[in-house]
Amino acid sequence: MAMIAMATGFVLILIGLFGALSNRNILRMIVAFAVANTGVNLVLVAVGYMDGRTAPILNEAVPVAEATTRIIDPVPQALVLTAIVIGVGVTALMLAYAYKLFKTKGTLDISQYTDLKW
Amino acid sequence: MVSPIFIIAASLGGAFLLGLLRDPWRRASYTISLLVLAFTTALAGAWVWGLASGAVQAVDILTAGTQPPFAVNLRLGIAEAAMVLLINLTGLLSALYLRDTLFIQGRRAMAVLLIFSMALSGIVMTRDLFNLFVFFELAVISTGGLILLSRDPRALAAGFKYLVASQVVSILMLVGIIFAYHATGSLNLDDMAAASEQLLKGGALAFFLIFIAVVAELKLFPANGWALDIYESAHPAFSALVSAAAGSAALVAVDKLLTIGGPAWMEVASIIGIVSFVGANLFALAQNVDRRLLGYSSVAQIGLIVFVAGQQDILGDSYLFVAGGVLLAHAVGKAGLFWLSGLIGGRELTAWSALQGNPLLIFAFASFLALLIGLPPFPGFYAKWELVHLIAAEGRLLLLSLLLFGALVEAGYLFRWFGYTIKRDRHPEPVAPSLYKHGVIGIAVLAGWSLAYLWGELSPHANLLHAAPMLFALMFLAIEWAPARLKNAVAIAGLLAWFATTYSAYDPLQLIFALIVLAGGAVILLASFQTPGRRLGFYPSAMLMFAGLAMLILAEDSFTFFAAWESLTIGSYFLILRGRQSEPHALSYLVFSLGGAFLILTGFALAAQGNSQFALAGLGELVQPLAPWVFLLLAIGFMTKTAAIGLHIWLPGAHAEAETDVSPMVSGILLKAGLFGLFMLLIHMGRQEFYGLDLTHAMMWIGALSALLGNLMAVFQEDAKRLLAYSSIGQMGYALFGLAMMNHLGWLMALMFVINHYIYKSMLFLSVGGVAKRTGTRAMYQMGGLITLMPLSFIAVLIGIIAMSGVPPLSGFGGRWILYNAIMTSEYRLPMILVFLSGPIAFLYLFRLIHSIFLGQLKDEHRLIKEAPFWLVLPQMIYVVCLLGFALVPGLALRHVDAYISNFLPQGALNWEGLTITSDFGYWSPVSIMLIVGVIFSLVFALLLLVNRKAQKVKQFNIVFSAERPYRPETTHYAWNFYASYRKALGFLEWPLFERFWGAIVDLLHTAADLSRRFYTGNGQVYAIHLLAFVVVVYLLKGGV
Amino acid sequence: MIKRFTLILLLAGLGAIFAGLMLDYVPDSELNRTADYYAKNTAADLGAANIVTAIIVTYRGLDTLGEVTVLFLTAAIVGLVLARDRHDQSQPDRELPPTGELLATGTRLLLPLILLFGAYVFSHGHLTPGGGFQGGAILASGMLLMLLSHPLRRFGHRTIAIVESIAGLAFVFIGVLGIALAGGFLDNRILPTGTLGELFSAGAIPVIYSFVGLKVGAEFSSMLLNLSETEEL
Repeated sequence: MAMIAMATGFVLILIGLFGALSNRNILRMIVAFAVANTGVNLVLVAVGYMDGRTAPILNEAVPVAEATTRIIDPVPQALVLTAIVIGVGVTALMLAYAYKLFKTKGTLDISQYTDLKW
Repeated sequence: MVSPIFIIAASLGGAFLLGLLRDPWRRASYTISLLVLAFTTALAGAWVWGLASGAVQAVDILTAGTQPPFAVNLRLGIAEAAMVLLINLTGLLSALYLRDTLFIQGRRAMAVLLIFSMALSGIVMTRDLFNLFVFFELAVISTGGLILLSRDPRALAAGFKYLVASQVVSILMLVGIIFAYHATGSLNLDDMAAASEQLLKGGALAFFLIFIAVVAELKLFPANGWALDIYESAHPAFSALVSAAAGSAALVAVDKLLTIGGPAWMEVASIIGIVSFVGANLFALAQNVDRRLLGYSSVAQIGLIVFVAGQQDILGDSYLFVAGGVLLAHAVGKAGLFWLSGLIGGRELTAWSALQGNPLLIFAFASFLALLIGLPPFPGFYAKWELVHLIAAEGRLLLLSLLLFGALVEAGYLFRWFGYTIKRDRHPEPVAPSLYKHGVIGIAVLAGWSLAYLWGELSPHANLLHAAPMLFALMFLAIEWAPARLKNAVAIAGLLAWFATTYSAYDPLQLIFALIVLAGGAVILLASFQTPGRRLGFYPSAMLMFAGLAMLILAEDSFTFFAAWESLTIGSYFLILRGRQSEPHALSYLVFSLGGAFLILTGFALAAQGNSQFALAGLGELVQPLAPWVFLLLAIGFMTKTAAIGLHIWLPGAHAEAETDVSPMVSGILLKAGLFGLFMLLIHMGRQEFYGLDLTHAMMWIGALSALLGNLMAVFQEDAKRLLAYSSIGQMGYALFGLAMMNHLGWLMALMFVINHYIYKSMLFLSVGGVAKRTGTRAMYQMGGLITLMPLSFIAVLIGIIAMSGVPPLSGFGGRWILYNAIMTSEYRLPMILVFLSGPIAFLYLFRLIHSIFLGQLKDEHRLIKEAPFWLVLPQMIYVVCLLGFALVPGLALRHVDAYISNFLPQGALNWEGLTITSDFGYWSPVSIMLIVGVIFSLVFALLLLVNRKAQKVKQFNIVFSAERPYRPETTHYAWNFYASYRKALGFLEWPLFERFWGAIVDLLHTAADLSRRFYTGNGQVYAIHLLAFVVVVYLLKGGV
Repeated sequence: MIKRFTLILLLAGLGAIFAGLMLDYVPDSELNRTADYYAKNTAADLGAANIVTAIIVTYRGLDTLGEVTVLFLTAAIVGLVLARDRHDQSQPDRELPPTGELLATGTRLLLPLILLFGAYVFSHGHLTPGGGFQGGAILASGMLLMLLSHPLRRFGHRTIAIVESIAGLAFVFIGVLGIALAGGFLDNRILPTGTLGELFSAGAIPVIYSFVGLKVGAEFSSMLLNLSETEEL
């Protein structure tokens, strides 16, 4: 189960990167990066997953005393939240850039923005 | 002490507070931002002070009241504190610099700036891997915002390219982090370092991903296209932040990772770093845009620091000293240059000529360049010294040579830029007058010099800023406003005073050199009284050169010697650069000299075997197989300075194009530095066998060839100063030859040449300079018949060439006499014949000097010329007296040296009985020779006067063309192509083989740089692909991890 | 074409690295040291039932502060980028089609519920799988609904900015209080930890998470607003 999720995550990363680096359209690049980020998040969660255990919330079902043997690793879950939020921030920023770029040159083709080189 | 966590809390609080304000309250917002940055800077400064003075200990800052690794913790030791101070100070200064821009952009931009410096401080302090990632992302995003401060519309695309690349980076980093967590069960860096073995076994790939991602954050060559675009298009104050602050923060992160990675990954860091250093410097060669060039240079410098971090296994205790020195020097210098670029209107390198007329800004510019290159007395110099010594001791010679090659290239393009600034036509757009910006630059200069002092104190060597000659030279910076004549008097007094105070410290050999440098320098400086006005820049440069020379003579250990060597090189470079047409020549002088200096550095480093304090006398204790290598490196280094054939191409231009009173300094005095070095080398090391070849034998050949070819090339010059310059190559060849003979008389002769060459070359340069000043040309065929108008100059030249050609009765003859005696005692015949041959050749060009300038017909336009100015003539007359005196009683100086040389080479000493000098082959009585020659001269002169009454005067152009057909008007002049027939016979010998050779190397480097930099296509996706390629290539090279 | 081929080749290389990671990966059978510490001590130390929340808000509170800052930063930069392009939209260029009865009514009905739900999610973060970020996102979805149903209505950037900034300042302030009153920056035990599983427990966690919720909601809203105002009507 965890391995499937992890493999899916990695494949998503590769697909996302391929999309982001082969599509010239800036909006498509942003979407592709979002796919890749999703893949990363999937990998993150998959690493913390442990077969046959439950969510790390203590309640009647998971008393404190049994927590060690009943819950999955909570750390990746905490990390993934941060990763998601950061991903959202970067995506928003890229979208704002895309808008602004379009305003300046009227195109979303990344290969047109090569005024600076060498 | 207030907890460092407040550096983060205050910045965040300030940023959130800015959100509360209204848009139009610009002033309030700006004040809050400055206050916050000032607070964080002060806090970091207090910690640096406390930690350095030992008042406080390094602290671990816990969060959440829980011990690590269960909660995020931060750490602040001295290194971290210094970095945090650097970051926040740069932030504060950039905020000041950005005042106008921030007022336009408003509080949001200010908040982003605060968060940027907070994020960088966080990167430095955090001890948690994921927390590091969060701070990195904060830095990335705020970079994305701050790029928009630029008015350059291209910055937008640069920002997007940067975001694309950092997306890839953050994906790699996150994947790496989670697997590293899985492997070690912790996110704490110290935990991971403790579990390093386990991590590198099970989670090597994870570590690789994290490592490579952090390295990518450093924007290293070649996976850095986006970064270069940012450097080029962003606001210069932000570029300063990126280069100085963000670069430093990321470096700290790499350092943290290396404590986990251990030696295996340090090796990777070393390779990546050195590739970046050399590659980026090479690419920068082809740059013509200032900020992009600075970008390349930043990449190179950061590469260098990564390299240093990779060498920490051998650096040991001096790691912080070396890395800190390079890093801080880079940060201050680079930030300063970016800030400076904000004052300049144009973006080409030549646009910096707008700085002309702003001596303070030029001083700032020069200081920043010196910081970057690591010239004394800046921290990079001390750091470079330690680094090179430790690397050499470890035998990592390939890395060492790459390091020095990159540094040489860097010095080349940076000083080329400086040359443009000083010499090109002033750019029409003046520098921006903003008080804030000038203030910020001033603080950076101050910081640079304070660091220089600090590193001098921290280093195990003497602080260069405590050395009296150095301080004396620097003092002239403070009195630049004074009139030149006053400064000149101070300079002369200083030279003489130093000579008087150090008089007792010299042995006879040193005394001769000290006399030439200090007393001789004072005499040449008399000519400088000629120049009116304030003569900005002359005295600091000249006195820096003299300071270097003075320290060189007294140096007892390799560090002082090398520091002095570099100081005199830099001082003389600035001095030569002052000539009207000297821009390219000064550059080639500098590049050759620094190249030579790096060889010397390597030689010393090899000799010292890791001990950075090494007495020069220790050279004598070296044994095979090391000794010949050390000898070779040092000898080539010194021969660069004496312009031995093959390494000579810088000399003619540099000496000929320099100012009238500078030419004698750089020719008469500066060349002796190389000879002094060779003396020192041979005294300590003697003969060395190198794979069966006696190295002194090779030197003898080089000396003989230099003598022959130098003289030959001088023969065919039309330019009088170039002629003298080429003749110096020949003269230094004689001296080298004499030294390399390794016998008593050879050395004595070399010393004779040291003295003679100083006197007559200084004199000739002054008189020819005086003539050139009056006639407005240096081409000899445009002169003629000046004997009656400039009689004193004529006398000086006459005496000079008699002395130099080695005919009786003047001291040149003494030199020859000793030379021929020396040759008789030596067993090498063939080079001896070359040296014999070059004697008459010298006579050819010397004859031409007097004939074309002073004899023959006077030109129409020169009829009203007066004698050269008094202050130019005065030293010449002093030299005439000296020459006559030295010719009469050479023993005055030489007998002491003769006795001194007997300490090393007892065989074949001369006998100094009364006024006669006796060798194994005969005797030399200067006084009787003088008398005989005087009598013959008077007789012939009287005869000529008698005969001359019958002479028939002819018109100027009444000449026979002797089967030559004139093509151009000037060729009808007899003095043009004077030795046409010799040229036909021997011209092949002056074919510019070496010029072509070195020219081809430079062209090759430039072409390679220009072609290969096209791989930065400007496309953001291509840049990201470079990044991926970088990852995969490093992965493969590391052998699949 | 060459570019695409190179890219595929490089991604294959990256894929190999990933494959290597997966092949070496052995799932843990027991909690590792860090996770074990959290499982054992969170309840006793911090009083939070949701261990993930305890980690996010307290143990790794500095990350979370950074996270909140990321959003603040993005909102500020998006504002900065778009500020100069925001043209006067009081007069749309063309007649807009009505937003539709369904949407308008639905919004009026749903908005209070959404806001309430959002507030519930962020205030119960220490007990349930929720928290400030989730709650904030829910709040912002209310804003999205409003923007959809009233495309011409101008919302006050000012109010949003004030909520955002005060929430941020409060977060930092509570963090600093931790230094003064408890074990260190961001320590939640400045308030009593209470009884495990109750609303008023886990010290300052619900307070911090509420501020985070407000802040995230405000930031998302401000980004949405900024983006919507660039729309050329």
